[in-house]
Amino acid sequence: MCIYITLNYLFLTVCLCVHVFFFFSVPTVPQQVSLSPNLETQQLTLSWLGGESTTFDIMILRTELNETTVSVTADKISGQHQWNWTSVEPLECTSLSVQIRSRDGQTTSDWSDTHILPGMDLPSNKDSQMFPQDRVVSVGTNTTFCCIVEEGLGFGSIRYRDLVMNVTRLSRRSYAMTQINQGPSGVTGTNVFCSSDEKTLLNGAVVFVGYPPLPSDLVCETHDLVSAVCQWNRGRDTHLYGKKRKTYYTLNGRDCTEANQNQKWSACSLAQWDGNFTLVARNLLGQYSLTDSSELSLRVRPVAPANLTSVVRAWNATLLWQWKHRGYDSLALICQVELTSHWHTTTRTFSGVGLRSVIVLDLRPDEDYSIKVRCGVQQNFWNWGDWSGPLAFRTSIDIPDAPDVWMWIERDNTGRLMWKVSIIIYYYYSIVVIIIIVLFVSRNRQRLNWFDLKKKKKKYKRLFKSKLTAYMDGGFPLSWQSDANASCGYVVEWHDASCQQDCAVEWIKVAAENTNISAQSENFQPGVRYTLSLYSCSSEVPQLLQRWEGYMEELVPSSSVPHLSSNQQDSNIKLSWGEIPLVSRRGFLLGYHIYLNNGSQLMLLANVSDPTSRSYTVKGLPVGSYKFTVKAYTSAGEDTGATVSISLESYSRFLFNLVIVKCYNILFSIVARVKKAFYPDIPEPKLAGDWSRTQGPLDVKPSPHSMVHIVEEPEWDSSKEALVVIPEEDEDEDETGDEPVDTDEPTSLRYYNQVIDDRPIRPRFPDSSASSASSLDSARTDVTYTGIQTSGNSLGGYRPQMQPGSLSQDMGLPAPQAFSEPQPTKGASFGGYQPQCSWHLDSPVEAEESGGLAPSLGSPTSVASTQFLLPDSGSKEQPEGKGQGSSSATTWFHNLLSSAKP
Amino acid sequence: MPNVNLSNHLIQTHLLISSWSYNRKKESLSPDLTVADGRLVTVPPPSSQLDTRDKLWRLHSALLQCRSLLERAITKEEEELGGAEKGDYQSQRKTVRDRLSLLLANTGELLKATDGTAVLTPSLEGLEIDGPTILFEVKLWIYRIFKELDYWTKTAITTLQGLPSVTAKERGRTTAVRRRRSTRR
Repeated sequence: MCIYITLNYLFLTVCLCVHVFFFFSVPTVPQQVSLSPNLETQQLTLSWLGGESTTFDIMILRTELNETTVSVTADKISGQHQWNWTSVEPLECTSLSVQIRSRDGQTTSDWSDTHILPGMDLPSNKDSQMFPQDRVVSVGTNTTFCCIVEEGLGFGSIRYRDLVMNVTRLSRRSYAMTQINQGPSGVTGTNVFCSSDEKTLLNGAVVFVGYPPLPSDLVCETHDLVSAVCQWNRGRDTHLYGKKRKTYYTLNGRDCTEANQNQKWSACSLAQWDGNFTLVARNLLGQYSLTDSSELSLRVRPVAPANLTSVVRAWNATLLWQWKHRGYDSLALICQVELTSHWHTTTRTFSGVGLRSVIVLDLRPDEDYSIKVRCGVQQNFWNWGDWSGPLAFRTSIDIPDAPDVWMWIERDNTGRLMWKVSIIIYYYYSIVVIIIIVLFVSRNRQRLNWFDLKKKKKKYKRLFKSKLTAYMDGGFPLSWQSDANASCGYVVEWHDASCQQDCAVEWIKVAAENTNISAQSENFQPGVRYTLSLYSCSSEVPQLLQRWEGYMEELVPSSSVPHLSSNQQDSNIKLSWGEIPLVSRRGFLLGYHIYLNNGSQLMLLANVSDPTSRSYTVKGLPVGSYKFTVKAYTSAGEDTGATVSISLESYSRFLFNLVIVKCYNILFSIVARVKKAFYPDIPEPKLAGDWSRTQGPLDVKPSPHSMVHIVEEPEWDSSKEALVVIPEEDEDEDETGDEPVDTDEPTSLRYYNQVIDDRPIRPRFPDSSASSASSLDSARTDVTYTGIQTSGNSLGGYRPQMQPGSLSQDMGLPAPQAFSEPQPTKGASFGGYQPQCSWHLDSPVEAEESGGLAPSLGSPTSVASTQFLLPDSGSKEQPEGKGQGSSSATTWFHNLLSSAKP
Repeated sequence: MPNVNLSNHLIQTHLLISSWSYNRKKESLSPDLTVADGRLVTVPPPSSQLDTRDKLWRLHSALLQCRSLLERAITKEEEELGGAEKGDYQSQRKTVRDRLSLLLANTGELLKATDGTAVLTPSLEGLEIDGPTILFEVKLWIYRIFKELDYWTKTAITTLQGLPSVTAKERGRTTAVRRRRSTRR
């Protein structure tokens, strides 16, 4: 083998010789040499008959310049020898001459005749030309262009775009240049310009530099449950455009002419779903295949709902649409409704078989909405379908329902009208005017009259004993018997049982067919007793049907029994205490535990399981000092306890002390009667304003802040029974014996357990003891006893009638054994005070005489009391024997004082 | 006389004139290279002997050929070169076509007003309407069409600017002839 290189003035020429030695005979000259050019590929195919030779020298010369180009061996094929040669330059650039000879070792035949492939630079082609034309090549390849200058003109330059290139002269008129590593073309290709030496454009060529197709993400789905629609990503830009160079696609062999060339995603359809799909993408630079396979049921993507319409109302709208494929009728669909209003978008989801209408709730009246819908299949959800076109509508103007109204009668006969207003906040543009119409048709007593209602409430009180209800599952479960009069259902109302004024009342209206509900409120608090009332609704005044009481959660009492006192009776010790205020009970009282307090520990003496008990007698104790602790308890446990001390004396000394006390009391009453007869109380001035008692249960003065004032019409006959405020005394009289005993009854604080004299209530200053000084000598001084339990501090001018514990001290009785722990609280210092025993102290002088002590033994000059209270003669724990004497003396004393009542 | 607003024509033709330079820039044809003129529009040679009607007819015929060439160029460009390009060039090309049509309509109205008869559609026979097949020659062909458009738009401006005085003279001449004829009668 030999390689020799010749360098001519412009061209680098390579000559290769391959020698194969067989024998030393002279090879024959190749015959029938033919040239077959492929201008597109710039390939020249040589064929010849070479006899027995297997080695040939081939010489390809650029004819005009007579240059040796290449000499190589060729293979024998069926006696016909053929060899392909690819030219760097386009074959048209200049003429080529070809000669072939056989070689046998160092021996060669003569060259064959010269065969010429004529170029386009022959003198007969006088026009300027450029090659190659409209070539499509891959990015990064090298391309050689040649320019054949028009006959008679001088060559100037070749420009690739606007870049002047280095050129090689191929022939007299032909010049070539090579652009290496070409970048991608623009849409219309890359221009190559050939110009004359006078800078006149001679000719040019366009080359398209791009990529073969590289699509991805082939996915096929069905919209109509029959056909297939396949989508794919076209992938990178091929930079090849135009009818001849663009990418063509076939899907399962079918041409996808509808595939959009200008979008990133292309789609193609097949009339029938075929589980396997093959996409082939082709352009002039290559092809690429993608496959996808799936069952039809897994690839259902519904079309966009068509013909969207709406039936609009104030608070909701019905949307209707149509499906253009019948197969959807039995297709379980899930649809999204996108709702836009005021640039705020929400999405609601609905589902159903063949869904084609939905009701969109919770719209706002008189509001603009834009709505659109899309759907997917419920089973084997694949993808959401396309959104429907938007549908705009405006909701109707709404006339709101009558507000949910309830009325509450305060203790001062003030009616409080309440309503629920939650729904009207949704009106943005509508002006909402709430017109309150309060009907008081007092001419017709059969109609609404709140005095009637109050009165009926009181009567119902006698008829209904509250049931207890236990809180569970987030509410108080209530059930009742159906009431025939409840034509428009029921109302269940509840409030804090201990509330006195401006109570937070909640209610719920119940349909007539329901006879049970769970009263629920986020305002329920543990340790608070709630009263729940059931009213029937009819055209008449609501009728109270049932009442319940309950705690959301029972707690231990927050305060111990008030006014715990001890009293020696014979050789026994009687412990007495007051009622724990309702608000402090924090649970249903179950009873009291009586402990003997040894200072360091408590020893349970008794369990008083009757929560109404107010006393307990400890028997059989020897003489000595004792300390007792009483603790009330609920289901949650017992309170911290109240403690009292006593020194038990011998029985003879006790009797002596008792006689002294009785005598003193008699003397006291005589003085009082004399004062009443000769120095009546001077009435206190009447003052404007609210001078109600601190916890007076009945305040008939209307509140200036009431929301609704009951206005009596002039025609109203105040003498009518229905409009008369029933004096509580009357009611109390009615209650005697009829009232169910229920000391835990909260409404008793409102309507009962109150005694009001039938005279006008006088305004009182809080420190009436001072202001009433002038009444010292007045025979009209009133003392009103209401039976209200108040603390010692709030008593003002009132003084208890009996203070046994204090009495013992004032009377100079032997002091009990000193206790290590402090005495009971100040309130407890009124030890013997009982609700029934308050006096209205009108004489500060006497208060001073009493040494300012709360348990005053001062002598009011006038006493009015409907319940005079002395030691309970009816106490079950009263000793049988000696108690008799005490009882008879008390009865006499009681009768004496009762006669003093004006 | 139809309501022909010359200033509108001037504005419209400006775009027609600039279109070829836009095309040249788009194809990276260096400004220092000269492209040999190749006339595509065939009309009778201009002459001072031509009356207003003939000038208008010549202009109208040339613009009509320009529109035919432009329509064909757009089609060929879409087929051979474009398809994906939806940019400024396409929108400007459409605007050029629309304004050319308007210019044609106006010159047609002028011709009808001057001649008083229906405008005869000039024959497009002999027009190289198919264009070349080699893409570089297609580009050159399109470029030359824009150049023709440039030339005939300028000609239209010149013709239309001289039109009022010419038509006035023509009207005056016609009136004088009629007056003489009526005097003879």
